[in-house]
Amino acid sequence: MSETHDLPTMLPHYAADNSRMAWIGREIWDHLWPWSRRGFGRHRFLLALSGGAATAVAVVWLLAAAGRIGPSVVIGWWVGWSVFEVLVRMESKPYIKEGPWWGRHYRRANLMDMICYVSFKNLLLGALLFLALHAVGVLDFLQRLPALDWLYR
Amino acid sequence: MRFPRSLLWLGNVLLALLWSAAGFAGSYDAPLPPQLASDPDLCAYAPCREVMPGADSFSLRKGRPGYVEAYRIRDEYEKAGRDGRKDQEDEHQEGEREEREHGELIGYVFLSTDIVDIPAYSGKPMVTLIGMDTRGIIRGVRVLKHSEPILLVGIPEAQLDRFIAQYIGKFAGAKVEIGTSLAGSGRIGLDAISGATVTVIAENQTIMRSAYAVARQVGIVKAVPRAAARFTALNDAPDWNAMVREGAIERLTVKPGDLGLPETGEPYIDMYFGYLNAPAIGRAMLGADGYARLMADLKADEHAIFIVANGLGSFKGSGFVRGGIYDRIQVLQEIDSFTFRDTDYLNLYRIEAAGAPSFRESGIFIIRNPAFSAAYPWHMVFLGNKMDRETRVKSFVNFEREYWLPARYLEGGRPAVSQPEPAWQAIWKAKQVEIAIFLLLLAATATVYGLRDHLVRRATHKDKRWVSWPKYAIWTASIGFVGFYTMAQPSITQVLTWFHALAFEWKWELFLSDPLIFIFWWFLLGTTLVWGRGLFCGWLCPYGSLSEIAFKLTRATPLRRFQFELPQRLHDKLKWTKYAVFAGLLAVSFWSMGAAEQLAEIEPFKTTFLVGVLNRSWPFALYFVALLVLSMFTERPFCKYLCPLGAGLAMPTTFRWFGLKRKAECTTCHACQAGCGPQAIADDGRIDPRECLLCLDCQILYYDDHGCPPLVQERKRRGKAGLPLTPIAGNGYYIPIKPVPADKPAQDDVT
Repeated sequence: MSETHDLPTMLPHYAADNSRMAWIGREIWDHLWPWSRRGFGRHRFLLALSGGAATAVAVVWLLAAAGRIGPSVVIGWWVGWSVFEVLVRMESKPYIKEGPWWGRHYRRANLMDMICYVSFKNLLLGALLFLALHAVGVLDFLQRLPALDWLYR
Repeated sequence: MRFPRSLLWLGNVLLALLWSAAGFAGSYDAPLPPQLASDPDLCAYAPCREVMPGADSFSLRKGRPGYVEAYRIRDEYEKAGRDGRKDQEDEHQEGEREEREHGELIGYVFLSTDIVDIPAYSGKPMVTLIGMDTRGIIRGVRVLKHSEPILLVGIPEAQLDRFIAQYIGKFAGAKVEIGTSLAGSGRIGLDAISGATVTVIAENQTIMRSAYAVARQVGIVKAVPRAAARFTALNDAPDWNAMVREGAIERLTVKPGDLGLPETGEPYIDMYFGYLNAPAIGRAMLGADGYARLMADLKADEHAIFIVANGLGSFKGSGFVRGGIYDRIQVLQEIDSFTFRDTDYLNLYRIEAAGAPSFRESGIFIIRNPAFSAAYPWHMVFLGNKMDRETRVKSFVNFEREYWLPARYLEGGRPAVSQPEPAWQAIWKAKQVEIAIFLLLLAATATVYGLRDHLVRRATHKDKRWVSWPKYAIWTASIGFVGFYTMAQPSITQVLTWFHALAFEWKWELFLSDPLIFIFWWFLLGTTLVWGRGLFCGWLCPYGSLSEIAFKLTRATPLRRFQFELPQRLHDKLKWTKYAVFAGLLAVSFWSMGAAEQLAEIEPFKTTFLVGVLNRSWPFALYFVALLVLSMFTERPFCKYLCPLGAGLAMPTTFRWFGLKRKAECTTCHACQAGCGPQAIADDGRIDPRECLLCLDCQILYYDDHGCPPLVQERKRRGKAGLPLTPIAGNGYYIPIKPVPADKPAQDDVT
């Protein structure tokens, strides 16, 4: 028996979804959307606040990726947002996957599990987003905008 | 045994001493006067006499690239008497005049950053002052400033001094390379600095290219003539866009941001350039008459190129007004550089090629040098003046673009050109044997661990040879071969470099320059995601292996009675220290990579393998010894509580694919927990993958029917009941005995 089988698990509601595509879709959504109705969804004010924060930091990230803001702000944003996401997820989606990525074994996450998950995920997402925006030319476009020049240090 | 608290205090004191002692710096990030880069009187700001012994005075900067002449005053010169070489120099009128004013010309002094821009490991050039005599012999070298952290915290700066001293007496035109040179290759091999290969390769290129460039300029070294281009007789007249597409016209763009200026939406300079001697291109650009006039003006071995540009800046600059030299542009062909004076300039009033856009600035420049050949690739260089936003210091930055006449314009096409081999390729070739052995070691380790289920079944908790012997062999190879011989100990500094490369600029060359570390990291990333960090930390890390061998050897001595393990509650608190160290180093690295490298000395790897404990100052040596002594009495204290690399690898280990096997009884049974060296098993039986070093002791117990309590219980029960002991299945239990009907064949009794 593997160590994952006999330990208490907390399954997300879609874990037993029969449709593989639907399950993959919900997993992707889970990675991108830290909130749930069960958690912060009950506190609409907090939900709105965190939504605004997410929008603001996404804009900061975009500008930073375009070279408009210094590395300290990028790191500050990354850490700040990751801490916030850890707190949100511990309330709303307090589980992580155990074992292979293609498996469906979930377990309740402790704080360190969630820190590892969020930091690793955000690192990958940030790198992927950077490459994608660079590929489609968004970053070059922002770099050439004189109106944003005041953001240079 | 209780953990002596005094050892904790000792550790803190050692760390404090270490940081305070790491402050010596030498030329590391030494502040240089801003005038050094631009003031005509170079030697007012640089120790020129140190690199040119015997010189009494120096000229102002001259030439392109810049250098100063070194003179010995007349009194001494007369005492010394003239030599034969002096007679030759007297043939030159200018030389005579200089001599009358200053004394005897004895050599040249130059600053590397005036000539080349070669980034070292830190990504920044090593600012080097070089002295060379009139025969082209290097007389002195001094590194004024570098940003190589390895030379600050890992390797004594005296080693850098010893390395650059090897250049004294070498000819500027010699082919000097790092490492042993093959006999008959015509190259001179220099001893490298172990562990700083990239740094010394960059410094070698910096010194030798600078010396060659000045030697070429002052006529000591003659250019190697290249075969002249022979052009095809093409009758077509390509339009502008066609020539841009095929590479007959190239483009070089510099943005204001590249020069530290605010972006305006317009490039600083947007240059197009091309080679006009090729008839089809010349006629397309200038028209038939214009091309004929140009060719009539040119002598043999003279070459015309055109440059047109838009943008905020100018490629002509204003230097030619004062000194007659165009100081913003030059042409490079391999190591030869060609600059332009006002006499090399012709107006370009109009472009005849259809579809050509309008340009703010244009000109034709003549290369009057037989060393240039249009058949071979060359580079157009724009020299920008970059201002640092924070320090406001200006420095020259080169932006260049390759040009190679398309094959259809050349008779017989483009000649074969042997591109200089990138430094990283040379390193990989030089280390073929080490790479092969290392790959075998990695493959063997992965295979042994992949076969763990077979090995742990053969082992018992009293006889672990099937697991421990392969592991000891791997540890030995790791310490001896990976650690001491190849010095390929992975380090947190590499992780920090990765983060920086991700955030700022990814350079494969940087990572490829150390093949074993490069391979090791790919192996590490792969195995961490599949099995967790334990395969590296527990089996392959040279320092970890050394630490655990020290513990196991001590266990075989009477000192065993002093060995101890921290109480689980204290361990569970202290284990977070390494994550704090990792996070702290990461944060500091974005503030200052140099500071992070200094703080990364919390890893004793450099002292152990890279530099050697005997070559380090006492705080580092004391720290190393203290950790080693501690390792003799408690298992892997550094790995468990301090290692930032282990912490960095532990985080993705949360998502490893394949964990270790556990049974339902593990939640209440503490047999494995009691014997877990890394203390990775919690009271509820759960293995913390981040702390687990994959020693496999718990897996040996898992199948051991004389060690695992549930199996022992079942074995005894069956023994009393007279039932046979069936094989142990993959789930760690005896295969159950199922009664079958009496009429079934006997061989089916056991399923």
